[in-house]
Amino acid sequence: MGAEAEDSYLVRRAQEGYLDAYAELVDRHGPLAYRVALRLLGNHHDAEDVAQDALVAAWQQLPGFRANSSFSTWLYRIVTRRALNQVTRTRTAESLDRLGDVATAAGEPARDVERELTVDAVTAAVAALPPPQRVAIVLHHFEGLPNQDIARITGSTVPAVRSHLFRGRRTLTRTLQEWR
Amino acid sequence: MNEQAMTDPGQPADDIQPLPGGAAPPLPCGAESDELIEQAARGRAGQLTGHQRGCPHCQAALREFSLVWEPVRNLAAEQVPLPAAVRTAVSRQIRELTADAWYTLELADGGAIRIAARVVARIARDAARQVPGARVVFGRSTRPGTAGRAEAATLGHRHPNEAVGVMGRTAVVDLAVTAEYGQDLDAVGRGVQERAIAALRAQAGLNDVMVNVTIGDVAT
Repeated sequence: MGAEAEDSYLVRRAQEGYLDAYAELVDRHGPLAYRVALRLLGNHHDAEDVAQDALVAAWQQLPGFRANSSFSTWLYRIVTRRALNQVTRTRTAESLDRLGDVATAAGEPARDVERELTVDAVTAAVAALPPPQRVAIVLHHFEGLPNQDIARITGSTVPAVRSHLFRGRRTLTRTLQEWR
Repeated sequence: MNEQAMTDPGQPADDIQPLPGGAAPPLPCGAESDELIEQAARGRAGQLTGHQRGCPHCQAALREFSLVWEPVRNLAAEQVPLPAAVRTAVSRQIRELTADAWYTLELADGGAIRIAARVVARIARDAARQVPGARVVFGRSTRPGTAGRAEAATLGHRHPNEAVGVMGRTAVVDLAVTAEYGQDLDAVGRGVQERAIAALRAQAGLNDVMVNVTIGDVAT
């Protein structure tokens, strides 16, 4: 039995009202919800709120879930939409400013500090992309999803996703070149 | 969140417009920078094409783009666990939802909004009675053998005296209809479904509504 088959079994049990089945789905796919929210929003606090909101919403909407897509694809859709709602509520236009605003912590080994700086720079650069490009970059380059799945998740088309990827890669490259 | 927000309105999807500041120009050899960026972003900077093997411009660009994208690929490869506090909060919220078995529940910023299952049933019945050709409408329990998945999910959340199951912002309503003789019964059934669903969405703010209609009798 593959992972998806096991997921579908858990989904059926959760739809029947078994909380432990849904808890298992949260253990499996909760990291996905948090990871995507974190990459899209660029900060842990908002990512925690959005991941929590998405996982509760998924439970509430579970009776309407049909098995024509995998649970993970369905969850990607829920968390992406909620993260974008959060983006429109709190515009992160200041994200780019954080590129040049990273203090080094005293006492940390130089290698760790350098790594932290790099992570912060990449996180801020991704969070500064326009939302459609950001979604395409995160789902494709961070989550490894094919364009077709991204189109399905975002309610878009494959050519539009490809276009957002091109633009996003170009912007990200330019931003990170300037940072280096 | 509507779907529009996921796309760039006003931009043709297939046509990549120059970004502010101008698109990256082609290399002196004619190779497109965007394609080389994509190659590097995918971690394939080392997989050179025939042209790239003999082209110093392409090789230099690929080295540069590869260095730029290396930290992106490293970050993408990092494991990101779900914070324990989030998992705990999700479990707690779901337990609260299931405790409100006979109410719809919306957790708003200012507190919880609950609508009793019998109110949901009343809204559905009143809406269904507006449908031409539907003479009498009652609630009626779905027989267990015919319960679908959505119904099964709300089965433990059914009000004992109402033919309605609610959970969170989901509801399943059963309606027994007596139709006027000579009517298109399929159209009457669909009309009852549509009216009841629209009323429940508009009046009770329910997201996911299923309305089962049984036309059990006709009246002359």
